[in-house]
Amino acid sequence: MISSFLVVSLTVAGATLAVLQRNMVRAIFGLAIALLGVALAFLELGSPFVAAMEVLIYIGGITVAMVFAIMLSAEGRVAVEASIWRRLVSAVLAAAFFAGVAYAITSSEFGKAPVVPDEVHKELWSVETLGRDLLDRFNVVFELLSIVLLVAILGAIAIATREKETSPEDSNP
Amino acid sequence: MTLQTWLLFALVIFSIGLYAVLARRNLIAILIGIELMLNAANINFLAFNHFVTSDPAVGQIIVLFVIGLAAAEVSIALSIVLAVYRQRKAIDVQDLDELRG
Repeated sequence: MISSFLVVSLTVAGATLAVLQRNMVRAIFGLAIALLGVALAFLELGSPFVAAMEVLIYIGGITVAMVFAIMLSAEGRVAVEASIWRRLVSAVLAAAFFAGVAYAITSSEFGKAPVVPDEVHKELWSVETLGRDLLDRFNVVFELLSIVLLVAILGAIAIATREKETSPEDSNP
Repeated sequence: MTLQTWLLFALVIFSIGLYAVLARRNLIAILIGIELMLNAANINFLAFNHFVTSDPAVGQIIVLFVIGLAAAEVSIALSIVLAVYRQRKAIDVQDLDELRG
């Protein structure tokens, strides 16, 4: 009970910091806290491997890449505040979405799902099962994902290193 | 925590992310909102797999694929941010209103 309270408070506090903070470095720090909370949630749900991957890839990779992007773009370091109307309308829209889906969840039968004992997941959710499934049942998706990552890296390098070239139309209008 | 509590928890995270995508003007802040939404979806996948599905481990595998795709997405998005910044000296979505490079 204490651990689930920790998970929820850490994640919500981090996400709120990430969304409301104007200093982008602090916002990314808030995102890292929220992602740590999500990793703890995965641990609570009985999957230590996915929790470790979340910490490694999200906190270790994605947030660090975002910090580098912030450091390379000086003007973006402190976010310009949107107008009060835009923030108000966004908050109302997000709250309306929350209310609608929360009503759908609470009026559904999901609350009646039985609580599964942890021993079941120790066996069925082991890293061994995961590895076998990745290289057996989901082999094609696994390989496809590696190609997607390769293309993404090549595309990122191509976009980020492209010099500002002047096209012929620009030089003689 | 029951399945319902987990779903409501993920919904809170998703709504916070949705607010960030709608309200903020900085490109990287919008990217942070998208990451929060993806993580809320991940919590849902794992919660449903934990409580309902008879198939073992399939939710974990979907979450791993989503994490991998998010890494690819972020690398592309950040390189676009850098390219836009080099051209415009700004990463404010309000200033980026033309397609011409």
